[in-house]
Amino acid sequence: MFQNLSRNSLLSRGRLIVALLLLGLSAFAQNIAVKGTVTSASDNGSLPGINIVVKNTLTGTSTDADGKFEINAPSNGTLVFSGIGYVTQEVAVNGRATIDIKLAADTKQLEEVVVVGYGTQKRNSMTNSVSQISGEAITKRPVSNIQQSMQGLMPGVTVLDQGGSPGKSNTNIRVRGITTFNINGSSTSGYDLGKNDALVIVDGIEQRLSDINPDDIESVSVLKDASSTAIYGSRATNGVILVTTKRAKGGKVQVDYNGYYAIQKSNNVPKMMGIEAYMREQVAAYTNAGLPVPARFTEESIQAYVNATDREKYPMPNTWFETMLRSAPQQNHTISVAGGTDVIRTRLSARFQDQQGVIAGYSNKIGEFRLNTDYTVSKRLRVSGDINYRYARALNPTVNNTGNNPQPLNNFFHGTLWAVPKYADGTYGLSTQGNNPLMFNEIGGQSRQVTDYLAGYVKAEFDIAEGLTFSTQIAGRGTFTNQKNYTNSYTNTDKNTNITKTVAINSLTEVRNTLREYTINNLLTYEKSFGSHGLKALVGYSQIGNTQTFLSAYRERFYNNDIGSIGQGANDGTKSNSGNDAEYGLRSYFGRVNYDYKEKYLFEANGRYDGSSKFTGPKQYSFFPSFSAGWRISKENFWQGLEKTVNDLKLRGSWGITGNQSVDLYSYYSALTSLGYSFGGTPVQGYRPTTLANTNLGWESTTQLDLGIDATFLNKRLTLTADYYRKLTDDILLNLDIPATIGLKAPPQNAGSVENKGWEFSLNYRGAASASGFRYTLGGNLSINENKVVDLKGTGPYITGSDIDPRYIIAKGLPINTLWGYQTDGLFQTQQEITEYKATYAANTKPGDVKYVDRNGDKKINADDMTAIGNSFPKYTFGLNGDFSYKGFDLSILFQGAAKVDARLAGALAEMGNQEGFTHEIYTNDYWTPDNTGARFPRPVKFDLRNVATSDRLVIDGSYLRLKNVQLAYNIPAEIVSKLRVSRIRVYTSATNLLTFSKLNKWNLDPEVPSGRAVYFPQTALYTFGLNLSF
Amino acid sequence: MKTNTFKHTIYAGIAVLALGLASCDSGLLETVPNDRLSEDLFWKTENDAKLAVNSLYTDLDSTTAVTWDGITDLAHTNQSFNVAAYIEAGSYDATSSVIYDEWKRAYRGIRGVNYFLENVDKVPSTNTALISQLKGEAKALRAYHYLKLAGLFGPVPLVTSSISIDEGRTLVNTPVEEIWNFVEKELTEAAALLPTTYGAADKGRFTKGAALGLLARADLYAGRYQKAADAADQVIKLGVYGLYDSYEKLYSYAAENNKEVLLDKQYLKDVYQNNVFNLLAPYSQKNAQSTYVPTKALVDTYETLEGKKITDPSSGYDPAKPYANRDPRLKFSVFLEGDALPSGITFQPRPTSTTADAIGSTYIASTTGFNIKKYINTEDFANPTNSGIDIILLRYAEVLLIYAEAKIELGQADATVLAAINQVRNGRTDVKLPSVTATTQAALRDIVRRERTVELAFEGQRLYDIRRWKIGEQVMNGPVFGITYPDATGKLVTVQAASSDRVFDAGRHYLWPMPQKERDLNPNLKQNPNW
Repeated sequence: MFQNLSRNSLLSRGRLIVALLLLGLSAFAQNIAVKGTVTSASDNGSLPGINIVVKNTLTGTSTDADGKFEINAPSNGTLVFSGIGYVTQEVAVNGRATIDIKLAADTKQLEEVVVVGYGTQKRNSMTNSVSQISGEAITKRPVSNIQQSMQGLMPGVTVLDQGGSPGKSNTNIRVRGITTFNINGSSTSGYDLGKNDALVIVDGIEQRLSDINPDDIESVSVLKDASSTAIYGSRATNGVILVTTKRAKGGKVQVDYNGYYAIQKSNNVPKMMGIEAYMREQVAAYTNAGLPVPARFTEESIQAYVNATDREKYPMPNTWFETMLRSAPQQNHTISVAGGTDVIRTRLSARFQDQQGVIAGYSNKIGEFRLNTDYTVSKRLRVSGDINYRYARALNPTVNNTGNNPQPLNNFFHGTLWAVPKYADGTYGLSTQGNNPLMFNEIGGQSRQVTDYLAGYVKAEFDIAEGLTFSTQIAGRGTFTNQKNYTNSYTNTDKNTNITKTVAINSLTEVRNTLREYTINNLLTYEKSFGSHGLKALVGYSQIGNTQTFLSAYRERFYNNDIGSIGQGANDGTKSNSGNDAEYGLRSYFGRVNYDYKEKYLFEANGRYDGSSKFTGPKQYSFFPSFSAGWRISKENFWQGLEKTVNDLKLRGSWGITGNQSVDLYSYYSALTSLGYSFGGTPVQGYRPTTLANTNLGWESTTQLDLGIDATFLNKRLTLTADYYRKLTDDILLNLDIPATIGLKAPPQNAGSVENKGWEFSLNYRGAASASGFRYTLGGNLSINENKVVDLKGTGPYITGSDIDPRYIIAKGLPINTLWGYQTDGLFQTQQEITEYKATYAANTKPGDVKYVDRNGDKKINADDMTAIGNSFPKYTFGLNGDFSYKGFDLSILFQGAAKVDARLAGALAEMGNQEGFTHEIYTNDYWTPDNTGARFPRPVKFDLRNVATSDRLVIDGSYLRLKNVQLAYNIPAEIVSKLRVSRIRVYTSATNLLTFSKLNKWNLDPEVPSGRAVYFPQTALYTFGLNLSF
Repeated sequence: MKTNTFKHTIYAGIAVLALGLASCDSGLLETVPNDRLSEDLFWKTENDAKLAVNSLYTDLDSTTAVTWDGITDLAHTNQSFNVAAYIEAGSYDATSSVIYDEWKRAYRGIRGVNYFLENVDKVPSTNTALISQLKGEAKALRAYHYLKLAGLFGPVPLVTSSISIDEGRTLVNTPVEEIWNFVEKELTEAAALLPTTYGAADKGRFTKGAALGLLARADLYAGRYQKAADAADQVIKLGVYGLYDSYEKLYSYAAENNKEVLLDKQYLKDVYQNNVFNLLAPYSQKNAQSTYVPTKALVDTYETLEGKKITDPSSGYDPAKPYANRDPRLKFSVFLEGDALPSGITFQPRPTSTTADAIGSTYIASTTGFNIKKYINTEDFANPTNSGIDIILLRYAEVLLIYAEAKIELGQADATVLAAINQVRNGRTDVKLPSVTATTQAALRDIVRRERTVELAFEGQRLYDIRRWKIGEQVMNGPVFGITYPDATGKLVTVQAASSDRVFDAGRHYLWPMPQKERDLNPNLKQNPNW
């Protein structure tokens, strides 16, 4: 399918665009000048932003902030006035030089239209729980991805922004909690939750949110309850995010430029203890452990280090954060051209983004364009076609960049003490472990990932009869990734210590990954009113075919580090390659019926019948139904007296079943694994089964109940939406542990149930414009989610982690990935207390050691004493936003936060200098000594784990409230703008993550961090200057 | 009219296109992977049977055979947060991942054999010699796993067929004597099916000698001394095995497949490699990990050149020169201060040395000041995680010592016993200790045990020996010590490894616990005493 989109068709598209542009320019014929003012028919207020087009041409303009316009038009022509929320009006020029008109409000259009699965619905008649935000809200905040811009705006949508290097951001969106998990995929941040990602549909095709230019987005809808998502059947359990891209509205050619330049700064800059305090703490740690104090920490040496000016000879213990973090620029520019006639409308946009990392060596560049075209072929036939191409190139240092402890970030904290970052002569210092993150970054080799992304579709809509429409869409997308990871060979000797780091062999790993997918959607829709009865129906067919290939090759010993093409490496036994293929298909039949009586009683039913190649036999197909109903009480006669106060009130409820097919391919397939061996120096092949096959595999299914209320008050200025939901996910696909005596790896099985229940509230107030022109809107939302594992089919609990890394548990009755460990009861203060308590973690417990709670009273501290000590996913998330405008100024503010969430510190942050890592300044003079018995932290004991086992002491409340974004914008007055032959100039400046209130501030950690060693790429604060231009 | 026709054509075209595309992919949901081999295609040729057996060898122990001593008194788990350190210290429980992994690996290997034996007869083959040999290999490999399980856990479930999940949930413990009976039976059968030697291309496959040697080891562990002695005697009488000339070179590439090796895990650089160098070499060797390091307890066990214990006042042992005039196997097995390391530098482990190997310079450097030398070959220095050295799992010297020990325990200490021991003590060109002449059972027992300890150091036998000899309380309690060196004032100080006090509970530590996870999934599985 996809291969058919040949270069030729792209070229001919290109010619078409050029032709369109020329057409637009040539339409500026010599005519008379017409001026005027557009006002509102209801309150005579001036109307800015109204489009005025000379009928049947591409000539057009729009009104300025005062409702004024000026246009050249033929004296016998007709002007078309149109604007969102107003009835379009046509006025003949008749040779007049001034035309003042009034536009009437369009009550129909005022009703908000919401994008839902395979269509749109009016907000008033909806019976589902759907949040929607506009593209304008998305681009208000300069972000590098859309997920970030969705944060704090929608109830029920939890966005966890956990940093990430440029181009590889780590942002998760969870719609109404976590429904499933993988128990075979654990990491330092708990069991793998990757199967909880919402389904993202862009213009009818499954894509990723990172695949779209935020400036191309018209709206984003998040479908949350089963009744809105069931139409996506087997992929819908985690919610569905529908993205609609901007299309040309017709009329005059509109050129927009939106760009910003920003400076990024790291939010995470942990501060190291002062040198003297640190060295004395080390003396205490060695002494407490009964070890000889090394020469570096004698009194004489401490004085030498403290007073030294020559930091090459007497280096500071850890300066990596200061050395490696920098302010880095980020810029983004989008220019779009949109316009068209009754027959053809098109919007073309192009974007360039360049994001440099706050650590040198990391960067990402994106270049892309999108062309959305609509043809009205006849009154009954509409055809559209979109194409989107993107090129992205991400760079990063190669050194151990993957895994749980990515270098060089890991080295900011661990294994790098006392190394001079770089000597004046250009050589590097090395820690005793041979590490230096600056050296790794600068000479260790670079990885380069280039991704080409191409997506497009053609679609036709045909009106068969009144109200009956058939549409068909054929789409393709492809992702082509090419990765080259170079490891340089080098030798560096620390000139002070003679410690040498040698990477003897340079190497190159080259990876090619391709993904191709096609989608076909066929829809038949019917819409008709019969007196008081309204009916809408839809039936559809869809199929998706997906193939992926992976190829990787390795060679080493290149002539030098600059010769880096795979064919240039040693052609011997060290070269290797590997690859695999995968494909899957999905075939679906679905339908929906909406019925209303007098727009008062509303009903909706959905169903989808999905078949997936991931399953076999009778489990291959499954049916996902949903039902919902609404009652607009405010439409009842008895409400008449109340409607002044409560303008609109709707109660709604829904129930339905959705699925999740996130299971590895071919899990039902009994296959032999290749396991090679060698005999007498000769490689031999071997085969045998390693995983049990499960042919009885089926979908995960989620049954969801939703009860909601929508109400508007105060002349529709105040709107309230509230929802209660209960989601029960059954038959979770788990690689449940099986007895190891079986001797094979566990296959996925349908087992286990998880419940999510919660509340969502959203309140918005649109203030009336004051006489002086001051306007404002205020909004707030709150989500409460309670997650609980209900059943594990008698298995578990599943515990991952250790005493030195966060421990997580998945157990019946607890939320998924609950932090697990010891409870503590302060510090032992006297030897007598220890003797009486008996239960100690380690032999030779001394005053100043942590007192772990012996929960089962067996006088031993062991795994049986562990309990739940924290919540890794927030129970409460909330957002507060305000928009204020006065004359040409706009100010918008967004607060956002989470509560009932915890972070477990690990690694150097937790071990208080006991191993060989960074030691946070928070420990300064706050560790137990006989003279400081009230200290927060226990006594340090070198190379000893007794006081840093996973316990509630290391769990920090991660609740936070932060000023996520402030933006101040100014619209340049129309008089100046018009002189520049521009219709709008808006300049803005904004800052993200400006203020944060959180207990993690003291640790200099961003509150959105995952638990663990904090070795992720830092989160950033952005300071931006931006410009919007319209022509 | 014309336009209408045109339009109709378009509509029809769209309809055809939409429907046509929808139906063209009829196999959409029946994807068949081509990146894996279906079970249905297998078991068609004799070669399939061979391929199936090849895969079974991957379950043999690899570097664990070396590192098991890291949880005994002979070596120390260098980093306190390594899960093995909890076992060494005696603070582990049934949730230990080390224990579970060992259990899991053994049963994985057993499943592979069971699966093979159930399917091999499907292969249409007239080459009965080959099929017999393959069956013999498989049976011997299964016995290898049960030998290990019985030694580590005692009464484990005996699984001899491919079992389902439900069957796995209802297994019960098999008395350990029955496991030993099974191991005996299988190895006896295997020995009858297997050839004495192989051609060059099949070196590394189980031989008759390897099956008999393993039988001798199993019977020794089981305390069935007569059978152990008989099996060892059969190996000796095969006449194809003997000691390799050099103990020093026994663990080098040059010695691979030599006449002393009965069974090994075979490796091949770049193709099927291990990481023994990176795992064990001193830290100065390209940041190698020193994961397990020798202890003073082991080093002190080596006799002097004159064959005396260092505690013997007449031995001439000089604490100031502790490594001079010692059993040469000490310097062949342990990196000692002053040794040349693969990189060419000198090993300087004293805390005051400013090298990367200085005790305390980093938590990776050896905390005892010793490093394991066996299998650390200079050839591997260039790429420390890519070693091709074969790891020996059973060798002739052990067979000799099994023979001697079994006969001593039987009270049949005759000249053949002394000959066996003395062959190990001075049958090579580079190990020439005086022959022993003791005659009492107690004296001979002491000698053969010391001989096993030093001869087989870091070869995975000590864990079982402690259990058989019931010496855990003596050797696995208290702190771990390392090198002795003169401090600034000239006073001799002995290094003590940080936070590594061991506790051995005789009530339970002679067996590992059945893994907790396994008991959670199978309530019928009984826990070992006092766990």
